[in-house]
Amino acid sequence: MNRPIRLKFFWQEYLERSFSLTIPLAAILAAFALSGLLILAWGSSPLEAYVALFSGAFGSPSAIATTLQRLTPLVFTGLAVTYGYRGGFFNIGAEGQLYMGAIAAVWVAITFPDWPSWLLVPSCILASALMGMVWVILPALLKARRGINEVLSTLLMNYIAIQYFEWVIRVDHAMRDFTPPGGLGWAFYNWLGLKDPTQPHPKSPFLVEAAHLPTLKSILETPLLQGWLGGSEWYQQLLSVTALGRISLAPFLGLFAALFIYFLMFRTVTGYRARAVGINPEAAKFMGINVPRTLFTTALVSGALAGLAGGMEVLGTQHRVIPNFLVNAGFDGIPVALIGQLNPLAVLLSATFFGALRAGANKMQVVSSVPVAVVYVIQALAIMFAIAGTTIDIGLALRKRRVAQMRREQETLEVESEAANA
Amino acid sequence: MLDQLLSIFANVEFYAAIIRMTTPLLLAAMGSLLAEKAGVVTFSMEGMMLMGAVGGIIGSGVTGNVWMGVLLAILFGISVGLIYAIMAVSVGAHQIVTSVGLNLGALGLSAVLYPLVFKRGEEVIQTVIRVPSMPLLKIPILGDIPFVGNVFFNHLPPVYIGYLLAPVVWFILYRTSWGLKVRAVGEHPHAADTVGISVAKVRYATILFAGACSGLAGAFLSIGLLGSYMENMTAGRGFIAYTAIVFGKWEPTGVLLGTLLFGMADALQLRIQALGIGIPYQFLVMFPYVVTMIALISLVGKASWPASYGSPFRREAG
Repeated sequence: MNRPIRLKFFWQEYLERSFSLTIPLAAILAAFALSGLLILAWGSSPLEAYVALFSGAFGSPSAIATTLQRLTPLVFTGLAVTYGYRGGFFNIGAEGQLYMGAIAAVWVAITFPDWPSWLLVPSCILASALMGMVWVILPALLKARRGINEVLSTLLMNYIAIQYFEWVIRVDHAMRDFTPPGGLGWAFYNWLGLKDPTQPHPKSPFLVEAAHLPTLKSILETPLLQGWLGGSEWYQQLLSVTALGRISLAPFLGLFAALFIYFLMFRTVTGYRARAVGINPEAAKFMGINVPRTLFTTALVSGALAGLAGGMEVLGTQHRVIPNFLVNAGFDGIPVALIGQLNPLAVLLSATFFGALRAGANKMQVVSSVPVAVVYVIQALAIMFAIAGTTIDIGLALRKRRVAQMRREQETLEVESEAANA
Repeated sequence: MLDQLLSIFANVEFYAAIIRMTTPLLLAAMGSLLAEKAGVVTFSMEGMMLMGAVGGIIGSGVTGNVWMGVLLAILFGISVGLIYAIMAVSVGAHQIVTSVGLNLGALGLSAVLYPLVFKRGEEVIQTVIRVPSMPLLKIPILGDIPFVGNVFFNHLPPVYIGYLLAPVVWFILYRTSWGLKVRAVGEHPHAADTVGISVAKVRYATILFAGACSGLAGAFLSIGLLGSYMENMTAGRGFIAYTAIVFGKWEPTGVLLGTLLFGMADALQLRIQALGIGIPYQFLVMFPYVVTMIALISLVGKASWPASYGSPFRREAG
């Protein structure tokens, strides 16, 4: 038997009881303040830089569209880490699951380009979720059946997935009008491939229009809405906002996913079991919960969410994959989840914080010549402060509990001695 | 295809390249092994290496002396280690999340520090800056042995430190009282605490040592192999080093083999890519991870990581 790695200490239990946004918000403010010193050292005005950063993230419809695009994958990976962590499965393999999800979505879209949109888009989404699950099955089984640490196994699966992606993006896709070189023996090989054979560089073909997630613009332009609202002035004004063409349904699906996970976690038996196992597997077993099966289910939900992150990015934003199409979104899910205090709804906020920083960084660089990389420092500091703050808070809560317990013991002793005296 | 492959294996330079590719992994992994043995997850190696890489460039570029670069790299690595130790040991924060944060911070800070130091006027430098880099050190006599000399004894100085590190770490761990303390802290911090070993002190010291070694590994990449700096130039080597520790089941010999396996896959992959042989080199890169996965699955009977792995020590929480 492998020894369990006790990475979680009181976290779950603590977060079950109390939840506040004070620590994350204070951490973010402190991170901005401290990073201001770095910007000063660079020779720019922190205030000017932050104003540019903010307006680059929220200052215009186009900025908001970019922020929404950036935050969507983080919402999904953040939820994946949150649900897994709460259920005792610390999934640091979201990066790999995300890549596999994206591969699956692209593969379905370029293999069945004739399917109508109502069939193709859901199929792609489903494929990405399934593939994310597939990629977590092995670590999940190892954890549930043999207690092999999931942090190590999911980490390893990341690199296997990324290398698989690096390969598959360089193999010509067997499209209809393309005969694979090397005859039939290569047919299967090319059948797996994602590369556009007409391109010299490793890129997948652009997905057909039918595989794109609808944008707000295309929804507004449907005949139904047009006939209904076509006359009103604000409708015409709204249509003239070009950024609506860049806002797909993906962020709204992210919102839906967060609500769904919240419901699943706090309002269903599945979620209750998962949390019970996350807090204390021994106690959960004593309560009659099938711990291995619960762990397995939790891992699958987590993997599906991470897979969806890849699918959403491909179907909603980039519409194809290239090498390094989405770097670190999986790993960033970990701090997104923890700054969000492992609460699905707060994950939306922390993903917005991360996404907005990434979206606004370019404008900050243009306006005040501060390098984009400063936002990584801001994020890192926010993570460190939030994690330190929460840990210290947990320590205080524990101490308070211990003091209360000691007082109770003291009182019992006194009562007993009084009884003995009388 | 086969003769091209054979030509790779027939070339002395390939074997020297394996040693070169292994060195940064070996320095980081072996340097961090003590901290790992003391129960600390050193997932922050990537950040330590990255800061070491940029520290090396800054020290070497500003002073014009490559050894000042090495010194600064080690100091930068130790600084990251110090922050990590404060968070992981004193605060008792979640070690993997802290590491993810530190790695992200190092990515950002290194990308800001480099242009900050080498900025000329208002112009942010675009061109590659060359700084003094480490000289080759050919070991007398040993370096003249045919084949063996060129493979093992004609390298940059950190390579030899890497050679020494494995036996030294093994010796410290298993033949000194200090190593006994390290293992006691990792296996049973409460017992160690009871007999008067300071858990915090041991963990601080080992983490700082990990920082110094990882910083040196970073300097080996920037002012050793390349002589210049690129953004995110460690490119995940810190994570590979961590994987090598898992592969090696937390034992010095195993970790040595693990880093060699990854180093070999890397050297071979680069050559196959350069020669344009039609072998999917991605599977070569993937191979050591698959082997590590198998090693993880087959960890039967014997626990390999320290019992207190990843959990902070609290005296009161028994």
